[in-house]
Amino acid sequence: MTEIPDRNDASADGGPDLNGSDPVLTMSGITKSFGDFLALDNVDFDLKKGEVHALLGENGAGKSSLMNVVAGLYAADHGTIHVSGQPVSIKGPSDAQDLRIGMVHQHYKLVMPFSAVENILLSHPGGSYEQSLNQMREDIAQKAELIGFDVDTDKPVASLSIAEQQRVEILKVLVAGANFIILDEPTAVLTDEEGQRLLNAIRKLADNGNSVVLVTHNLSEALNHSDRITVMRGGRVVDTVLPKDVTPPELTRMIVGETISETPELSKVAGVPQLKVRELQASRTDGLAVIKNVNFDVRRGEIYGIAGVGGNGQGELVEVLTGLLPVTSGNLYLHEKGDITHSRADERRSFGIACIPSDRQTYALAGGLSVSDNFAISGVLNGSYGSWSRIDRRKMQSATDAAVKKFDVQGVRSRTQRAALLSGGNAQKLVIAREFSGQPGVVIAHSPNRGLDVRASAAVHNHLKSARDRGAAVILLSEDLDEIMLLSDRIGVMNSGAIVAEFDAPADRHAIGKAMVGHD
Amino acid sequence: MTDIAAPTRWKRLNLEIRDHMPFWQQSIAVAAAFAVGLIISVVILMISGVGLADLWNEFVVFIFTSPKNISAVLVQAAPLIIVGLSAGIAFKARFWNIGIEGQVIFGAIGATLVATYDIGPEFLRLPLMAIFAAACGMLWMALPVFLKLRLQVNEIISTLLMNYIAFNFLLHLLYGPWQDPVSAFPHSEQFESFERLAPLGWQSLNYSLVIAIALVAFCAWLLLSSRYGFLLNFVHSNAKMARAVGIRVALVTLFAALASGALSGIAGFAISAGIESRMTQSFFIGFGFSGILIAFLARNNPLAIVLVALFVSTLMIAGQSLQVFYQIPFAMVQLIQAIIVICVAASEFFIRHRIRWVE
Repeated sequence: MTEIPDRNDASADGGPDLNGSDPVLTMSGITKSFGDFLALDNVDFDLKKGEVHALLGENGAGKSSLMNVVAGLYAADHGTIHVSGQPVSIKGPSDAQDLRIGMVHQHYKLVMPFSAVENILLSHPGGSYEQSLNQMREDIAQKAELIGFDVDTDKPVASLSIAEQQRVEILKVLVAGANFIILDEPTAVLTDEEGQRLLNAIRKLADNGNSVVLVTHNLSEALNHSDRITVMRGGRVVDTVLPKDVTPPELTRMIVGETISETPELSKVAGVPQLKVRELQASRTDGLAVIKNVNFDVRRGEIYGIAGVGGNGQGELVEVLTGLLPVTSGNLYLHEKGDITHSRADERRSFGIACIPSDRQTYALAGGLSVSDNFAISGVLNGSYGSWSRIDRRKMQSATDAAVKKFDVQGVRSRTQRAALLSGGNAQKLVIAREFSGQPGVVIAHSPNRGLDVRASAAVHNHLKSARDRGAAVILLSEDLDEIMLLSDRIGVMNSGAIVAEFDAPADRHAIGKAMVGHD
Repeated sequence: MTDIAAPTRWKRLNLEIRDHMPFWQQSIAVAAAFAVGLIISVVILMISGVGLADLWNEFVVFIFTSPKNISAVLVQAAPLIIVGLSAGIAFKARFWNIGIEGQVIFGAIGATLVATYDIGPEFLRLPLMAIFAAACGMLWMALPVFLKLRLQVNEIISTLLMNYIAFNFLLHLLYGPWQDPVSAFPHSEQFESFERLAPLGWQSLNYSLVIAIALVAFCAWLLLSSRYGFLLNFVHSNAKMARAVGIRVALVTLFAALASGALSGIAGFAISAGIESRMTQSFFIGFGFSGILIAFLARNNPLAIVLVALFVSTLMIAGQSLQVFYQIPFAMVQLIQAIIVICVAASEFFIRHRIRWVE
């Protein structure tokens, strides 16, 4: 051990004593408004040494706002912050950094062509480039080893995966010397497996004497991976509880203010096979074969769930089904249309195949165009709104108004508002409103609840069930096994580009999990 | 432990991202940037020795009080409007057509081909010249667009390089088979009277202005109210989403690129048959840059393209007299254009961001 005393050892009692120790960071009476909107209303929050503190709540509950105050991005209207018992004033990110507070945001702030070490150096400049680069490398390696990260620090950040980029962001905060570490929805962009690795690393961070705030809307994450849970709703703190004292339904009630519980409800009307997939094989554009052998049927009036760890070919399967990626071999048959293996994307849509993609900002919405345009595009393509020579804007707008109302898309101030301004849940509802407007016979939904809170994802699930109940064949691909178990009438498991097992609901969760990770 | 004491509360400027700015505010921001550009240009011109009163006279009084100058501006504006439309429709599909000059050259070659070899009866000669011009402009676009859509070859490079090929082919024709047999100068034979765009009967105005206005009307319909224009908006905004939602992006892009080539070709026809009455070595110079600039300043809107083209044309005509009477180089006109473009481009920053005093 070195003799240099670590700041963390000041309390000198070694390991964390969660119930007894005094908080090292306290926020009290924090109030913040944006115009007329009260984002934080007299909020109290504290953080103890060596704990993982989950901050739980729906989208818009005020979790990120509260953390932005402590990270120096927002100035609070009222309230005080104490660090180690001293009152402090945090006027900007640099003040926060001086206080050893570091935040990893949902959207990473990395320079893509630069390597990890260069990115980290960029936020802590000083000394000559070569010298500091080498020193930085050592520094990073040391911090990374401490929490079990492995990152290639010399590859351009653009070539790293999302999970690796996130590690770079975390290392950036650690190298800056932070020991209050705030992670804003860190697992939202990760697969289950990557998320698990991250949560393990977070635990190690806490074990090393740091204090971690885990901002999340995921119940099981909060319950299984934190020492304390603070629940926020509508800009206020509902309560702070210990995970062992609370059950998931109680937590849900605290989050949404009422009980939203979704119960499985099997199909009553499963009919003839609507879509048949036979011996499908396909390669990515870079030539890598990712779909090796996929066979399944989806019947009318059923939800066919495809479970699997992310990156086993789900994304490519969606592209193949919607006609964006050509097959190398195999066939797709649509009831009454026959072989559609080589039909174009627009033809398949006209045959009634609708898709809710997982990355809605990239593949489902044109953010710069209006809500009305985004809703109407599929209708324009099938000729519902005017002829080739003239778009019928009036008809388009009244249809948009009706759909916004029917699908409860909130936050639409006007029809000409850009779609990018909608929140995740409302953007998803808009996508569903459009995709369901043509009464599709086949619905492909890929991780439809990604980034949505409990209420919005229940609404999305109800829409999928109602599509099934009116006779559509629904294919649900999700890495969230809870979602699959909740909705599916039959479940296929995708592993290494093939459907390796099939189960009828209600299925054995354990058996599904086994098929997901099996290697044969 | 660093204590962050706060004895004084400083006000500081904060840069924030703006979600949305209403259309009227955006218009004000762009107009203000335009005004700033003009002011900078005026200062530069004054430094180079032109008095403020002289500038006012040259740019406003002489242009707008003399019918001769007004018509000169309009005649010059016609091809500028057409190349502006050409750039606008290509940019709308995010197809960066830098090869407008090459397509203008090929348009003029097509028109001159019809005129030189007396193709078709006299009364059909002009329409044939226009059609050949459009077809040749399109032909010159065909290779870059094919390379782009089939092999992902960057169109900025391919269209740019095609300009040099077109220019050298033009020189080959003018020094070789199409050299004027009468004067033996390296330009084509003068067009017959029925091969020139007829005068409208007021000053020097001719039918090229009518063609430009008709094309504006066509493009306004195409981009603003047809189904194609609606789809093109999606390709412009998010091509991946457009493809996923069932728009045939390649087809939409192909059409926009070919239309752009055809429009540039017609511009070549309008210049050679409307202004020069023949094909010269240098008739196309500046139209590529001006077209890109006009489309950019007009945000690819066909109606705004007319206004910006008139402005650029006024600058060019006034610049000619500056050149004659004040020995100001013509490059100064290009400098003014560039300053205004930079200012308007910078206004984008204020549309996307807000600067506020915060404590």
